[in-house]
Amino acid sequence: MVKEGRNERSTFRRYFPPKKKFCRFCQRNVKDIDYKNIDILKKYVFERGKISPRRVTGTCAFHQRRLATAIKRARILALLPFVEE
Amino acid sequence: MRQYETAFLIAPNLEEEETEKIISQMAEVISQKKGKMVKEDRWGKRKLAYPINKFEEAFYVFFLYEGKPEIPSELERRFKQTETIIRFLTVRKETRPKVRIKRKGVPVEEEATEFRETKEERLVGEEEMEKHSEEEAEDEEAKEKQEQEKDEAKEAKQDVKEKISTSSEEEKEEK
Repeated sequence: MVKEGRNERSTFRRYFPPKKKFCRFCQRNVKDIDYKNIDILKKYVFERGKISPRRVTGTCAFHQRRLATAIKRARILALLPFVEE
Repeated sequence: MRQYETAFLIAPNLEEEETEKIISQMAEVISQKKGKMVKEDRWGKRKLAYPINKFEEAFYVFFLYEGKPEIPSELERRFKQTETIIRFLTVRKETRPKVRIKRKGVPVEEEATEFRETKEERLVGEEEMEKHSEEEAEDEEAKEKQEQEKDEAKEAKQDVKEKISTSSEEEKEEK
């Protein structure tokens, strides 16, 4: 069973080769992430409404912090959901 | 003088005149307290991401203004009194943005220009972001797939097996 699991993993790894991620905000030299800009924020939220982690999106620590607060503010104003059913 | 941004949502069941009245009342507060309205933005009725007070939509208004800290507190006091305002949020705008310390010999000029960056330029930057959003959409798909895959994997192998999977994940991340 354990071996099987490992095999699954290895195939998984082969299927999605590790790609170099980069921060899309640094690329464009964005300083402020606005909570009203929902189109951008939506890209950093999972279907269920969770904030996507850095390891998935490749956002740098500086922008991830700003992104998180922006998403939280947008949630207060019901621009983004807290949970999506 | 500080710059603040206040957003508030007005209940959708009001007449247009009443909504107008509330907005002008709130705008008056700023002028009364010798604040300066920089920008008044109205999005109109918009669907809410989740129901608030059983309303499915609301009228969005944004005020961007400069002034003393009494203004936002007075505004918020009024918002609380007004029942037709279902949600509000005040944010202090950073007039002097925190400088980012870059380690790997990135030119300092970049930061200097960032300081002087005007609002218009910032807006242009945002538009650019939107332009590039299409590319990102593809990435998003891949990302979601990855996430789903991970979830499935975790469900399949719980407890001891999960430990193995997480450790292998760590390995992956190290790489």
